[in-house]
Amino acid sequence: MSEKTDKKEELEKPKENSQDIRNNLKELENTRKALTNMLEDFEVARKIAEEEKMKTESVIEKFSDGIMILESDKTISFLNIQAETFFNISSKAVFGKKIEELLKIDVFAKLGEILKETAGEIFRKELTIDDNFILEVSTISISRGEGKEGVLIILHDITREKMVERMKTEFVSVAAHQLRTPLSAIKWTLKMLLEGDLGELSKEQKEFLDKTYVSNERMINLVNDLLNVTRIEEGRYLYKTEAVDFVKEVVYVLDFYKDIIKKKGVKISFTKPKELLPKMFLDIEKIRLSIQNLLDNAIKYTSKENEIQVSIKKKDNEVIFEITDNGIGIPKDQEKRIFSKFFRGENAVKQETEGSGLGLFIAKNIIEAHKGKIWFKIEKDRTSFFFSLPLPEKE
Amino acid sequence: MGKKILLIEDDRFLRELMSRKLVEGDFDVTEAVDGESGVEKSKNGGFDMILLDLILPGIDGFDVLKKIKENEKSASIPVIILSNLGQREEIDRGLELGAIDFLIKAHFTPGEILQKISKII
Repeated sequence: MSEKTDKKEELEKPKENSQDIRNNLKELENTRKALTNMLEDFEVARKIAEEEKMKTESVIEKFSDGIMILESDKTISFLNIQAETFFNISSKAVFGKKIEELLKIDVFAKLGEILKETAGEIFRKELTIDDNFILEVSTISISRGEGKEGVLIILHDITREKMVERMKTEFVSVAAHQLRTPLSAIKWTLKMLLEGDLGELSKEQKEFLDKTYVSNERMINLVNDLLNVTRIEEGRYLYKTEAVDFVKEVVYVLDFYKDIIKKKGVKISFTKPKELLPKMFLDIEKIRLSIQNLLDNAIKYTSKENEIQVSIKKKDNEVIFEITDNGIGIPKDQEKRIFSKFFRGENAVKQETEGSGLGLFIAKNIIEAHKGKIWFKIEKDRTSFFFSLPLPEKE
Repeated sequence: MGKKILLIEDDRFLRELMSRKLVEGDFDVTEAVDGESGVEKSKNGGFDMILLDLILPGIDGFDVLKKIKENEKSASIPVIILSNLGQREEIDRGLELGAIDFLIKAHFTPGEILQKISKII
């Protein structure tokens, strides 16, 4: 009996199997279809990615600025077309080489200098290839995968900008000279008249001529200010620094103003620092000019019987210059603009129609070029202007 | 006993004014209207001081200064540059070439210039 049952089971098995097989086949077919679809989708996605990659590469390749890439081991891995043109070299010739290996080529030697000079990212450093070809170099660190850092170097052609800058400086120089010539003639004539060289003058005549003289002096100062401002914008403003005694320079300027201060009837006090200051590297002329501009303001915008206090203090590794007056101050809503070009507070304009509005702008630029800071504080009716200058590091 | 001064200045009015003031100050003034004649007039020496403008027709003031200093006979004459240029580079260049002082005309009155001259000679 069991045999028969076995046989029956055996006979029934194929039927089960073929159903299974059919099911399995169907599943396989579905899986195959799904895989094929996935492959097709992947293929489409891959094509799109490939296209996007080519578009991006094309942009970088043809970009109007030169682009160079250094890998984490400082070897050159990419030079776009513009960079090849700038350097007059094919990317194949420098691929895989370090800049140090290419120093025989003048441009790379110069580029190497710039890269060595600055640790960290470079922002717009000038690279002069020759008189008629100047580049601006910037670098950014970029990831080269897996925690490796490379450098992206951007080269921007600024030849035209430099040319325009040169033309502007020349123009201003010539204009300043041309303006000074008639201004000198007027100054000299008026002075000679005032000194009686051309005969006696009545009191009234003297007064008029005096006022004219002052007006003319204003124009001369304005020409100076404009010249200074142009040089600031040129960026080459600090011409020469020397080791100087800062206190001595302040005293020099204060001495110079002794008579003017006396005439105005204003009192002035000066406090030296408690300790001896080391010599500092300063552009003497420019520092004197900043002190002068601050002093000018204190004197101009103060009135008789008022007092101006000047002091120099040493604080940590800085020297702080302070000048306080109890003059007209600065209106609250105009405080932010006090250091900007040509700006004069409303109250200042009302008190004195003189003033070019350039004094503080110039002073700020000079102090910041020396790596110092300039600021002011107003308390009640006392206005204080400060500037700090870094002291040289102790050897 | 007037000291002799050579004034090299191309602007007529300024030249007249400066001359007048110098004469008032008892100086003996010789005028030159451009660089060439300035060099010419000084080539045999004979002056106690030279006042030199920089912007001149023909050869420029710096070249005139060079020539004066290169000529044995005029090299020892003190030269004051009187100019309306005044950038640091120009001042330094003038002093390097041998000028004894550099005065910006617009910043000094004739009287003040005279004082400076009297201090030197």
